[in-house]
Amino acid sequence: MSQSKLISLAEAARRYSWDGMQYASGAALPVGSDAIIFGRELLRQGRRDLHAVFHCNSQQLNLLAAAGVVSKAECGFSALEVFGFANGLRRAVESGQLALEDYSNLAMPLRLLGGALNWPFVPATVNIGSDIQDRSAFAPDEYPAKAKIPAVTDPFTGRQIGAFSVLQPDVAAIHVTLADVSGNSILLGTEWSRVELSRAAKKVVIIADAIVDQGCIRQYPNLVRIPDIIVEAVVHWPFAAWPQSSPGMYDADEDHMKFMNKALATEQGTADYIRDFVTPYQDVDSYLDMIGRDKLAKLSDSSTSFLLDPYRQWILETTP
Amino acid sequence: MSDFTRQEMMAIATGREIRDGELAIFGVGLSMLAGYFAQENHAPNLRTMTEGGVYGATPVGGLPWGIECNRISSNATCFSSAVDALGFLVASGRCDVGVIGAAQVDKFGNVNTTGIWDGEIGPTFRPPKTRLPGAGGANDIACGAKRFIIMVTHEPKRFAEKVTYISSPGYLEGGDARARHGFVGSGPSAIITTLGILRPEAGTNEFILDGWFPFSCIDEIKANTGWALKVSPTAQVIPEPTAAELANLRKVDQTGALRKQ
Repeated sequence: MSQSKLISLAEAARRYSWDGMQYASGAALPVGSDAIIFGRELLRQGRRDLHAVFHCNSQQLNLLAAAGVVSKAECGFSALEVFGFANGLRRAVESGQLALEDYSNLAMPLRLLGGALNWPFVPATVNIGSDIQDRSAFAPDEYPAKAKIPAVTDPFTGRQIGAFSVLQPDVAAIHVTLADVSGNSILLGTEWSRVELSRAAKKVVIIADAIVDQGCIRQYPNLVRIPDIIVEAVVHWPFAAWPQSSPGMYDADEDHMKFMNKALATEQGTADYIRDFVTPYQDVDSYLDMIGRDKLAKLSDSSTSFLLDPYRQWILETTP
Repeated sequence: MSDFTRQEMMAIATGREIRDGELAIFGVGLSMLAGYFAQENHAPNLRTMTEGGVYGATPVGGLPWGIECNRISSNATCFSSAVDALGFLVASGRCDVGVIGAAQVDKFGNVNTTGIWDGEIGPTFRPPKTRLPGAGGANDIACGAKRFIIMVTHEPKRFAEKVTYISSPGYLEGGDARARHGFVGSGPSAIITTLGILRPEAGTNEFILDGWFPFSCIDEIKANTGWALKVSPTAQVIPEPTAAELANLRKVDQTGALRKQ
């Protein structure tokens, strides 16, 4: 049995976050798996001036942007899908407080893949020829932008393509469904770009909805998409993606998704939200009480619950 | 005439563009309903994917909240990834058809989903007055899918001579401008709106009116288009939904997202 990397959420944020860092999360789309609880903890610990690398915006970036602790962000998509515009992020962008550099949903994981491989750049056959290439929020005076997606010549055909810069974020907080105590992780639902992100980031903190016995990992090694050898720490936190969904575990909390986004539309609403849903809990139990036990039961009654069946026997009831 | 909404007509007209057996990618929201309607109605062998990497699934419980929502994750045949869906299967040139939405579209089918500015952006990039969702996977579909369909509510503010910001490329400045960038995809094949259908004119690739829905007319469409819209000599009224089409659409749209006007 390998060494346990299980630590508390507060300890993980203390060790693996700092002001001004390049922080990555949000690698599983705006409604799905994201380590939202880690973002709440960053706020609790007063982190600021973050450079956020989020493949897609999620309620985590929406909250951090609304709270004014993000100065720069790079995203492929910056709303909340059918839940609408991300009001907190939108407010920070429109006011000029946050510089949002736009890419697309393929560009972001390709840049992470390039970072994972330590490539100097990634050839770009998308995002070229559009204003994503020509306009840069990080270099607003350059038009067309020179350093965002510069044109390069394909040495084999002579054709003009683009070059994406690669991403190697300081820390990635990655939400997974199941992990063992050393960080071997199984992701139910789409991976989105969590695999690329886990290899690109300098340090990886796993935020798991449930901890499984290592017997589970040895039974399904081909389903382990993030191996322990690249993981710094594991945090066990049920409903870590709330109010978003975790396939096999719980559905999106539709009421809270809307409530939260409405609150983040204003400075006062954001302050109230932080008072009521970021600062009150002391531990997992009081966090779950805050959401409401009836609500948790309802969210857990998901049409995807059967996805968890093969793994249930391995889930540890008490955290080791 | 049976009872249906303009949004339902738009979704059905979009679905009619999708052929059985094709490899198809759908964005979030109404375009997803149009795609799964096609599969339910006339394209049972459609090979479907969302850009999130959910393959072979159909929505359960209504319009999914996202392309990775549990509503689209309870009967999938594969959970994959963004690089797989948008890269291996779209940027590679393998995907036959994509459906995307638009906040603003212009006469060459360029799409803006990034922001609304007061006037031109100018030489210095500045925050938009209203920030929109960004490109998402639509840029990748617009560059890589063999063809794509733009679904958009027909209003003057959305139909501009020239979009303020190109989030996803259509035919750029028209003609063969796309060739300059060597995109593997050949561009938008149709703009399907709440009033009718526009298609690119051969040669110029300017979008012209190809047909109007039974409840609309050429004059209404021209009045709601922000450029001097040309009308194809073969333009005609588009058949209203059949009873079977409506039933199949509503089977997919369980929560009635398209019935809210």
